[in-house]
Amino acid sequence: MRRLASVGAAATVLVLALTACRADDDPGTNGIEGLDVGPGVTEEPCPDAVNEDNGCIYLGILSDLSVGPFAPLAVPLTAAQEAFWQRVNEEGGLTAEGLDIAFDVDVVSYQRDTQYDPTEHSRLYEEIKPNILALAQTLGSATTDAILPDMQASDIIAAPAAWSSLYAFEEVILESGANYCIESMNAVDYAVEAHGIETVMAVHYEDDYGEDAAAGAKIAAEGHGMEFISVPTPIGQDNQAEAVGRVLAEQPNLVIITTGPAEMAAIVGGTAAQGFTDVRFIGTSPTWNPALLASPAAEALVGLYEQTGPWTDGFDGDTPGHQAMRDALGEVDTVNDGYTSGWIWQYPIKAALEGALADGDLTRSGVRAAAASLTSVDYEGMLPAGAGNFADGPDGQLRANTINRPDPESPTGVSVAVELTSFPTAEAYELTQPCYELLDD
Amino acid sequence: MIELFEAVFRGLGQGSVYALIALGFVIIYKSSHVISFAQPGFMIAGVVLVTYLVELPGIGFWVAVPLATLLTGLFALGIERAVIRPMVGRPIFAIAIITIALDILIRTVAHAYLGINVRHVQDPWGLRTMSLGPLTVQQRHLAAVLAAAALVAVLFLFFRYTRMGLAMRAVAQDQEAALAQGVSVGAVFAMSWAMAGGLAAVAGSFAASGRSVDPLFWLIALTALPVIILGGLDSLPGAVVAGLVIGVAQALTQSYPHWVSFLGTNASVIVPWLVMILVLVVRPYGLFGTREVERV
Repeated sequence: MRRLASVGAAATVLVLALTACRADDDPGTNGIEGLDVGPGVTEEPCPDAVNEDNGCIYLGILSDLSVGPFAPLAVPLTAAQEAFWQRVNEEGGLTAEGLDIAFDVDVVSYQRDTQYDPTEHSRLYEEIKPNILALAQTLGSATTDAILPDMQASDIIAAPAAWSSLYAFEEVILESGANYCIESMNAVDYAVEAHGIETVMAVHYEDDYGEDAAAGAKIAAEGHGMEFISVPTPIGQDNQAEAVGRVLAEQPNLVIITTGPAEMAAIVGGTAAQGFTDVRFIGTSPTWNPALLASPAAEALVGLYEQTGPWTDGFDGDTPGHQAMRDALGEVDTVNDGYTSGWIWQYPIKAALEGALADGDLTRSGVRAAAASLTSVDYEGMLPAGAGNFADGPDGQLRANTINRPDPESPTGVSVAVELTSFPTAEAYELTQPCYELLDD
Repeated sequence: MIELFEAVFRGLGQGSVYALIALGFVIIYKSSHVISFAQPGFMIAGVVLVTYLVELPGIGFWVAVPLATLLTGLFALGIERAVIRPMVGRPIFAIAIITIALDILIRTVAHAYLGINVRHVQDPWGLRTMSLGPLTVQQRHLAAVLAAAALVAVLFLFFRYTRMGLAMRAVAQDQEAALAQGVSVGAVFAMSWAMAGGLAAVAGSFAASGRSVDPLFWLIALTALPVIILGGLDSLPGAVVAGLVIGVAQALTQSYPHWVSFLGTNASVIVPWLVMILVLVVRPYGLFGTREVERV
């Protein structure tokens, strides 16, 4: 009898536990002032609310804020996102016509440092998931891949802090600006026009970031009937000697670089130091850091390096969006385009939340539906009109980039040499699958 | 053939940096039998300090490096006194774990000072090259080799002729016997941590020459782990020789990747670990390590 009682008790505990799990997986919806709401939305004000009468929308941030490799980019990026929503809150928060309630947006309470580690990223995502409506930031390709299946299953949309071509096919990821693949196509086409190149080499990390850009360079090079050489390279400045050796051995006219800034400088500086200067280097946007102009490689960078950029202009641009960003951030210690990217990535999230409010459905699925129906987003001039077309999937992707050159006079260390332009290869290319899958074909 | 020798020289430059970091590991291990995983933290703390000191008026690279070395040494000494000393007598494994925690802590704080941009030690060499006979070598590699040679000579004299050096050797041989002879084992522990911290700062300063200091800079210190195992955990000459061997092996595989193409692309990254494993198969105590005989 005692055994039976024990089994019964254990079964009861199991059923309760399973019920709890199910409850967590399907948090259900509630109503606030006639509005359907789900997890991450409260009628109570946000902590330290700007507007005490407003409800609160909680957005999570999974970033690399301390010892990870992208912390130098992620810290200003996150600061800009906090400033973005602070501005929204100070302007009264988010609401819609006919609603009696407005919402402030909180991006601080569920901000976590995942150190660019997919395991940590996944663990901390699970930790904050019950309390957030969406993610204001998920930094990195590999890290985001770790949570993507659950985001899709749970209808959690996110702004990425990456430009992978994979996101063109993911409804829950709202990517702004041209992806790495398109970026490299534009770089090659530009170099053909401006520098008359004949051979293309891509020196790249062996991950989605590096391979996406290398695939774009390969597609463009082959389109022009040029030789293409792929050189995978590991992370770390000390590990770039092999890549430098390949540049010296193959002597390409153009090298597309997809690494971190320090690695890029080691490759450009290392090549020039060994006497080979009859080459152009074009790096994807994350390869630049303004402090490189004080590095031993500065002279080589000024002479040989250009950067592709995803926005109309850098931190010091003169669009209304740039001005609003600088006003919201106030005095910053060091100017960095991480601020610009972080800020711009929030516009589609804001548009999706506004759309969901207008539809009267501020649940996760409501926000996802609103995001998927966006045909354009108002980026306040930081991207051209028509950008932010998520309704058309891969066909709606922006295909334009700027070409920037090192400029010691500019606060960001680069200035725009070629305005946001969509070059022929990128314009004509049909995205049917993530580009990095094509690199080995 | 010229290219081969140039690659070897580049490897000696990089290997000198590994040797200096490895010496710090070995000095601590000899005195306390603890492998301190805090060395990467001390290295980046020292380098970040140099990047700030060189910006002060009147302080160039040559003043900043000794100053940062001294300050990092004192910092390491403080860490030993405050965190490690109370753990004396506790399991070595627990102390090693504490050093991992210290490393993460120090690196996190150092990264905060590193800020959002890369920083520079403003060394006098940059990426300039020079002729060394028929070879064209980078000045920074020559500087690293000379600095390592000078420091190894100083360490040799220190351990052979100074009272503290002799005390450290005595503690390394037999802690209890040294204690019975009036040697302050605590002072030896403190000195070994101070020396390890200072060496990490010097190594970092030369490793940062001609390049930028970024959040991944500490990874250089990780290569010192196969170096100390290869050289022998308790061997100072082993740390130097193994550092140079690993540096040269890495440079050669970077310059001639087809030699190790069976290992895949960028095999130079795993070469230090591979060399370590191959040598340990033949010599389990490393090239110069003490063979321990235990009753079983």
